[in-house]
Amino acid sequence: MRDLLVVENLQQVFGGKTRTYAVDGVNFRIPEEPAIVSLVGESGSGKSTIARIILGLLQPTAGRVLYEGTDISTRDRKWNRKFRGEVQAVFQDPYSVYNPVYKAERVLKLVIRKFGLAKSKAEAQTLMEEALRAVDLRPEEVLGRHPHQLSGGQRQRLMLARVYLMRPRLIIADEPISMIDAGMRASFLNILLDFRETHGISTLFITHDLSTAMYLGGEIIVLYQGRIMERGQTRAVMSDPQHPYAQLLISSIPTPDPRKRWQEDLSAGPLAEVGAGISSGRDRCLFAERCPAVMDRCWGARPHLQAVDKASETSRDVACYLYS
Amino acid sequence: MPALLEIRGLTAGLQGQRAVTEVVSQVDLDVQAGEILGVVGESGCGKSTLAAAIMRLLLPPQVLQSGSMTLRLKDGKTYELLDLPEADLRQLRWRRLSYIPQGSMNSLNPVLRIERQMTDTLIQHGLSREEALRRSIAALELVNLEPRLLDSYPHELSGGMRQRVIIAAAVSMRPALIVADELTTALDVVTQRQILQELAAIRDELGATILIITHDMGVVAQIADRVAVMYAGKIAELGTVNGIFESPLHPYSQGLIGSIPREGGHRVEGLPGEAPSPWNYPAGCRFHTRCPHVIDRCRAQVPALLPQGDGTWAACHLYEPEVLSNA
Repeated sequence: MRDLLVVENLQQVFGGKTRTYAVDGVNFRIPEEPAIVSLVGESGSGKSTIARIILGLLQPTAGRVLYEGTDISTRDRKWNRKFRGEVQAVFQDPYSVYNPVYKAERVLKLVIRKFGLAKSKAEAQTLMEEALRAVDLRPEEVLGRHPHQLSGGQRQRLMLARVYLMRPRLIIADEPISMIDAGMRASFLNILLDFRETHGISTLFITHDLSTAMYLGGEIIVLYQGRIMERGQTRAVMSDPQHPYAQLLISSIPTPDPRKRWQEDLSAGPLAEVGAGISSGRDRCLFAERCPAVMDRCWGARPHLQAVDKASETSRDVACYLYS
Repeated sequence: MPALLEIRGLTAGLQGQRAVTEVVSQVDLDVQAGEILGVVGESGCGKSTLAAAIMRLLLPPQVLQSGSMTLRLKDGKTYELLDLPEADLRQLRWRRLSYIPQGSMNSLNPVLRIERQMTDTLIQHGLSREEALRRSIAALELVNLEPRLLDSYPHELSGGMRQRVIIAAAVSMRPALIVADELTTALDVVTQRQILQELAAIRDELGATILIITHDMGVVAQIADRVAVMYAGKIAELGTVNGIFESPLHPYSQGLIGSIPREGGHRVEGLPGEAPSPWNYPAGCRFHTRCPHVIDRCRAQVPALLPQGDGTWAACHLYEPEVLSNA
């Protein structure tokens, strides 16, 4: 079976003398059939860097990205054009992507024109209205308005309308809901679920917010300092994380239920934040200094992702010596 | 017991060329001594304006139009915050009332060491250098930072550490009330959890009262004792954290709680429509344009915030006695 997208041994190193490993040996795939894959991690975990590499905005230090089996760094113009049509991005900031001088619908008109989606003005209008309705926007509340007259939630859904016009196969969504209001978040996520179910559009959903990943379901990849710590079905990982880092992360979610409050007091414990891991090189587990279950071998060599609990539905890959 | 801070009819707005646009309208709120009160609402609902108004730190074109705020301290002193001259306010701020504005972790001066930034304020309040240093170290301990951090510059610290320095500075005079606006918004969940747990510990240790302003329902569920839900510049509902999350009364609170994305499998619907901006607050109940239970009087009359039992208050016509008896 061919995969839609394959990320192979991706590495991104920034800086000269003091090298920063933003992404360090990351492998994952997005299958051919429509899927939602969540890439989660704290700030600095490399998740946005991975998004930028996949979109071709950044040349990786090592490794490659394959789309339908073709390396995306292949500079074939025709193929590139196809790739740019089929892989669409939605970014975090719903303000900065709009030119304040033009009306908001320009983002739709440009797509229609550049990709020749409509033959006449009337057809373009019909397409725009259909796209707006697909993302729960009423055409009359958006058309003819300038970006500043729309809320963050409306602007972000307008970006999805633009994506919808393109009918891509894959959306790379980098923290798309972190700047929109709580009441609007669910409807944005529902649109992504609808896109998958009715239009076969996959999403790579990048977020620091684990509860939204849980809502979307599908597969989850937990990153820490540029490396994958755990990967598996979202529900299985969230309900029973195996890697000590995933356990810490998931137990720290502020659950919106006052009867499920945080149990143990973390504030003064051994998990208290440590400055950037400069101590002892990178051929080791990067979580070792914060890990409550740390062993000698954790400092000796990098643990690689290994399948745990292979047979069942809760199977997942974990990069931790506790499981090997 | 009288409230630590009693807010009555507080109205604040934006001064335009001709008129003032109300942002916060007729807010009544009692902040009880020793509690953590969460103020939640969507962006633009006026929660940050309310926080700044409590501190009397509204900046032009923001104006405080009317209302009263009474601060009653444990030592028996009472202050009418809106009547105090600026010089007296300055003495109250930091010592009695502390304010952690949104994004303040990025407001540390990059060219001064932490020590100078923490002790300067204390010296301004009349402490000696030694005493200021002693208090700063004690405050850093409250947020689990080591005293050696005083020699650092802000850029040497992570975001979580800078936010802790800000909290330490804010509590170094052992204030009675701490107003924290979006304290952990820019932080990772693990750091957020640590800082919120530290904040709860500070409340216990100093006997302080904390007003936490946030858009994050998870944060209030985790640490607040009571919750005030704001919508379009007014308090829609006020109650205990369990009451608000388990049996919200106001249709807006119901929508807000109901739209939280939870575990996969079942979908939740977002609140339909958009919150109005201060320039076009609807007449009557400001939520009536989005409310699924709207009745005639919602379009005409402003609902008052009324007690509904069990410490819950709601500003909604549906819970008024004559409407209930007709239903």
